[in-house]
Amino acid sequence: MTLVAERLFMSFGGLLALDGVSLTVPDGGVVGLIGTNGAGKSTVLKAVSGLLRPHRGEIRLRGRPIHHLPAHAVLAAGVAHCPEGRRLFAGMTVEENLRLGGHLRRDRHVAKDMARVYDLFPVLGERRTQRAGLFSGGEQQMLAIGRALMARPALLMFDEPTMGLSPIMIRRILDTIALLRNQGTTILMVEQNALAALMLADHGYVIDLGRTTMSGPGTDLLADPRVRAAYLG
Amino acid sequence: MSTLAQQIVNGLVLGALIGLIALGYTMLYGIVQLINFAHGEVFMVGAFGAHFVSLRLLPADTPWYTALPVMCVTAVAVSVAVAVAVERLAYRPLRGAHKLAPLITALGVSILLQEVVRVFYPGATAPLAFPRAFPDGHLVLGPVTVLWTGVLALAVAPLLAAALHLYVERSRLGRAMRATAQDPETARLMGIDPDRVILATFVLGAALAGVGAVLYGIHYTQIDTAIGFQNGIFAFTAAVLGGIGSIRGAMLGALSIGLVKSLAGQYAWGGAQYDYVWVFALLILVLMFRPQGFLGRPERVRA
Amino acid sequence: MTSSFVRDRPVTEAPSRREPRPAWRSAPGAALVLLGALSPWASAVIPGGAYPGLATLQFFDAPYLVTGFRLHLLLLGLAALLPRASRAAGAGAAVIALVHIAFLAALGVLSFGGPVTLAGGALLIWLGRREPAPEWKLPSRALAWPILVAAFAALLWAVSAMLTAGGQSRATNPHGGAEFLSFLGFAVGLFGILSAYGVLSWLSALAERHRAFSLTVLLACAMLLPLTEAGTGYWMTVASTIGIYAATAIGLNIVVGLAGLLDLGYVAFLGIGAFTAANLAHVVSFPVAALAGAVVAGLLGVVVGAPTLRVRGDYLAIVTLAFGEIFFRAAQNDIGGLTGGANSIPGIPPITLFGQGFDQPVGGLPAGFLYYALTVLLVAGTMAVLANLKHSRTGRAWLAIREDEDVARAMGVRTGRAKILAFLVGATLAGLAGAVFAHKLGTVGYESFDFSESVTLLAAVILGGMGTVPGALVGASLLFVLPEKLREFSDYRLMLFGLALILIMRFRPKGLVSS
Ligand SMILES: Nc1ncnc2c1ncn2[C@@H]1O[C@H](COP(=O)(O)OP(=O)(O)O)[C@@H](O)[C@H]1O
Ligand SMILES: [Mg+2]
Repeated sequence: MTLVAERLFMSFGGLLALDGVSLTVPDGGVVGLIGTNGAGKSTVLKAVSGLLRPHRGEIRLRGRPIHHLPAHAVLAAGVAHCPEGRRLFAGMTVEENLRLGGHLRRDRHVAKDMARVYDLFPVLGERRTQRAGLFSGGEQQMLAIGRALMARPALLMFDEPTMGLSPIMIRRILDTIALLRNQGTTILMVEQNALAALMLADHGYVIDLGRTTMSGPGTDLLADPRVRAAYLG
Repeated sequence: MSTLAQQIVNGLVLGALIGLIALGYTMLYGIVQLINFAHGEVFMVGAFGAHFVSLRLLPADTPWYTALPVMCVTAVAVSVAVAVAVERLAYRPLRGAHKLAPLITALGVSILLQEVVRVFYPGATAPLAFPRAFPDGHLVLGPVTVLWTGVLALAVAPLLAAALHLYVERSRLGRAMRATAQDPETARLMGIDPDRVILATFVLGAALAGVGAVLYGIHYTQIDTAIGFQNGIFAFTAAVLGGIGSIRGAMLGALSIGLVKSLAGQYAWGGAQYDYVWVFALLILVLMFRPQGFLGRPERVRA
Repeated sequence: MTSSFVRDRPVTEAPSRREPRPAWRSAPGAALVLLGALSPWASAVIPGGAYPGLATLQFFDAPYLVTGFRLHLLLLGLAALLPRASRAAGAGAAVIALVHIAFLAALGVLSFGGPVTLAGGALLIWLGRREPAPEWKLPSRALAWPILVAAFAALLWAVSAMLTAGGQSRATNPHGGAEFLSFLGFAVGLFGILSAYGVLSWLSALAERHRAFSLTVLLACAMLLPLTEAGTGYWMTVASTIGIYAATAIGLNIVVGLAGLLDLGYVAFLGIGAFTAANLAHVVSFPVAALAGAVVAGLLGVVVGAPTLRVRGDYLAIVTLAFGEIFFRAAQNDIGGLTGGANSIPGIPPITLFGQGFDQPVGGLPAGFLYYALTVLLVAGTMAVLANLKHSRTGRAWLAIREDEDVARAMGVRTGRAKILAFLVGATLAGLAGAVFAHKLGTVGYESFDFSESVTLLAAVILGGMGTVPGALVGASLLFVLPEKLREFSDYRLMLFGLALILIMRFRPKGLVSS
C-alpha cells in the first residue's frame, strides 16, 4: 500500500471536520474521493500532506508513519499535494514555479524532469519565462500539475483539479491525469465532479460530514443508485 | 547652493547607512509580517562588537586595512549570533500566537539588548569614541566635501543591496524566501521549511546590519546604545517608504529618509533640533496614505 | 491582511490525557523546602546586622524562633503537601531561595538553606500536578458581602505588607531589597495557591457580580491604608505616585487591552495633561486645570487615533511611536514656550481646597494623605470607566475589533468610531492623571515622558493582564513599587522590564492576573 490513513479525527474550534475517515491507496492505483462541498475532502488531503495535524488517527506512507511530520518533511517522504485553487506563485515565472516544485531535489535529473513537464504541456515550455499570474486557469492548472510532478512523488494528490475550468480544459486535465495513471503514478484525487473522478479511479470513496459513507471500485460506485442520486444528479 | 549640495551629500551618506538596516526590516517583514524592533539593536551590538575587538584585541598599531576587515567580520559575527539567538529563543516559540505577542516581544528584546549593553559594556553609559579604522581626510568635489568614510558608505551600501538582490533572485534559498513571502502554506508544500527560511532571513539581515554598524561607527566616530533604536525606526520607515518587501525600495527609501532628515535640519522650521520630528511626520504620512510604499504592492518580498 | 507570525500553523494536537499524578509526589519537594527553612542560611555573620532574622549559623542557638522569610518557607512547605498547591508553593519557595542566594552571594557569603530550598522548589514545580482549577458555586448575597469585605481586608493587609516589606530606605535596613523581593516570592506562592484552587477566579466572579458593592468596599479599604503600617508621609507619597501611573495604565489598558490597539506613545498624553495643567496652574483652580488637561489630551488622542482609520496592527504601533517621539522632541525643545524645555516648568503650586494645601497633613493623618486620597479616587474612577465600558456595547465592539477587525466590520461594528473612541477615552484619562501629576510633583519636565515610560506603562498593562479590570492596577503597582524598593537595582530596571515583556508573552500571554 502506498498510503494508509486510519480513523482520522480533526476539528476546527469544536466543529468536527474529520470524524474517523479511513482510506487506502494501493501502489500504482488511482483513488477518487468524492463528496459535497464542506464534506471534509480537502481536510483529508491537508492532513496527509502535513498542512494540518489530525487530532487522532494514523497516516502511513509505504508503512512509515507520517502524520507527525511537518509539511515539508511529508514532501520529502514522497507525497506531493497539488492544492485546491492551484496556489501558484503568481509573481514568479513558470520555470521558477517548477524549480520550487523540485526544491528538495539534489539529483542531476531535475533538468530532465523539467523537460518532461514541458513535453507534457508544451504551452508551458513556450512561455517558461513568463510570470505564472498571467496564465489562464487551465494553463495554471497545468503548471500546478507540472510543479507537483517535479518532486517525483511516490503519491500525487490532486484537490479539485478541474475546478473553474472550461469543458475543453477539463478534458485536457483529465486526459493528463489518465496519462499519468497509465505511466504507473499513484494518485489520490479529490473531485466534486464525481463522474470524472469515478471514471478515472480504480477505487472510490464517498465522504460526508467527515465520515466515509461508501467505498468500492469506481465503476461500482458509478452504478450505485445512491451515488447517482446524490452526486451525479 | 553649496550648503544645499553639502546637505544632500550628508543626507545620502546617512541614508546609505540606514539602508543597510532597512534591508533586514524589509526582508523579515516581507516574510513573516513582523516588525522586528530588535533589528536596530542587532545593528547596535555589531557596532559594539567591532569596538571591542578593535580596542581590546587588536594591537594599537594595527593598520586600518587590517583592522577594518577584522572589525567587519566581528560585527557581522556578533550581529548574526544575537539575531539567531533572538529568533530561536524569543520569536520561534510564538509562531501562531496572537498578533500582538510577537510585536510586544520584539519591543522587549529591543529594550533588553539596549540595556544589557548599556549596563555591562564598560563605558557604554556614555557615548564611546569609535576607532578610526579608515583614512582621515575627505574628497573634495567642487563645493562639496565628503569624508572618505562617507564615500565608502556610499559605495558599499548600494553594492551590498545589489548583491542581496541578486542572491534573493537567483539562489535556491532566495527562491524559497520569495515563495514563503508570497504564500507560506504552499511554500511548505514545496518542501520548504519555514523555520529555516526565517532563520536565514534573520542571518542575512543581521550580516548586513553588522557591516552597516562598522561603516556607521567609522563615519560618525562615536557610538552609543541608542543608535540602534533611532536608526532602526528610520530604517523601518525607509522600508515602508520603499514598499515593504522590496530590496531596491528599502535602499531608495533609506536614501530619501537621509535626505529628508538632512535637508529638514537645514531648511525646515525649527532647524536641526526638529529634524527627527520631520522624519517621524513623514513616517506617519506614509503609513497613513501610502502604506504600500513608493514601489507598489504591499507585503511581498520582491527583488 | 492579518499579521500573525506565520499564518498557517497546523492545528496543534489535542492535549493528550495524562495519568493523574499521585499526591505523594509532592512530599520530597515539600520536605526539602521545610528542611531548607530550618537550616542555616549564611555561613558567616554578615555585615550590616543580622541578615533577615536568624540567617546565620547562630540560628542553632534559637531553633524554635522561625520568623521572616523562614516562616514564609515553612508555610509554603506545608502548603505544598496539598495536591493542587504544590506547583505554586514550589514556585514561591524557589523565588525566595533564589533571592536570598543571590543577595548572600553578593555579600560573599555561602548559603546552605538556599540551595536546599531551591532544589525543593524545583522538585515541586517539576513533579507537581498541573490541572485546571476547580470551579465553585457563587454564594448568596447574605454570604457574598461578608466574604468580599474579608477578601478586600486581606488585600489591604497584603498591600500594606508589600509596601512596607523591607522598610523604607537602605539607611535603616541594608537588606531591605532582599526582604522585599523575598516577600514578593511569598506573595507569588500564596496567590498561586489560591488561584490553583480556583479561589481567585471565584472571588473575582463574586466581585464582578456585586460590582458596585465591591468597588465601594475596595475604595473604603484603600482609604484605610493610612491607618496601617504604611501610614507615613513617605509611603503616602509613594502610593500616590503609583496611583497616578496606575490610573494612566488603566487608560492604556482600554486602548491596548480592550481594543487591541498597540499604543507605543501613550505617555505623551500624561505629558500633555501635565503641561496643560502646569501652564494653567497660576491662572485657574485645580479642577479647571485638570479638566483642561483632560480635554486637551483627549483632543490630541483623537488626532493620534485618526490614523487608525487607515492603519492597521503593527503599522499603527509605529504611528503611535512616531507621535510619541514627536511630542517628546517638541517638549524637549520647549515648543511655543509651553514646556520649559530643559529647564522644566517649576513652581507649580500644590492643590488647595478650602484653604487646605494637599501637601499638608490633615488631622492625625500623615502629610500626603490628601494626594493619596485624590489618586485613590482617580484610580477608582478610571477603573469604573474601564469596567463599565468593558461591558457596554462599545466594549463588545472593541473586543470584536481586537479579535478580528474584518469580522467585526462584517458584523456591523462601526470600527472607525470605536477605535477613535478608545483613543479618546484613554487619552482623556491619561490627561487627567497628568494634571494631578503636575500639581503633586510641583515641577514638570519633558524627561518624565520619554519612550521608556511608555514601555513601562505597556509592561504594566501586559503584566497585569490585557483587558482585565484590576490588571493594570496590579501591574502598575508592581512596576512602580519595584524601582522604589530596589534602588540598588535602578540600573537594571528597564532591562528587567524588557525581559519581563519577553517572558510574559512566552509563558503567560494573558498576564499574571487572569487565571
Ligand atoms: N481552516 C479552517 N477553519 C475552520 N473550519 C474549517 C477550516 N478548513 C475547513 N473547515 C471546515 O471543515 C469542513 C470541511 O472542509 P473541507 O475539507 O474544505 O471541505 P471540502 O470537502 O469541500 O474540501 C467544512 O465544514 C469547513 O467549513
Ligand atoms: Mg475542498
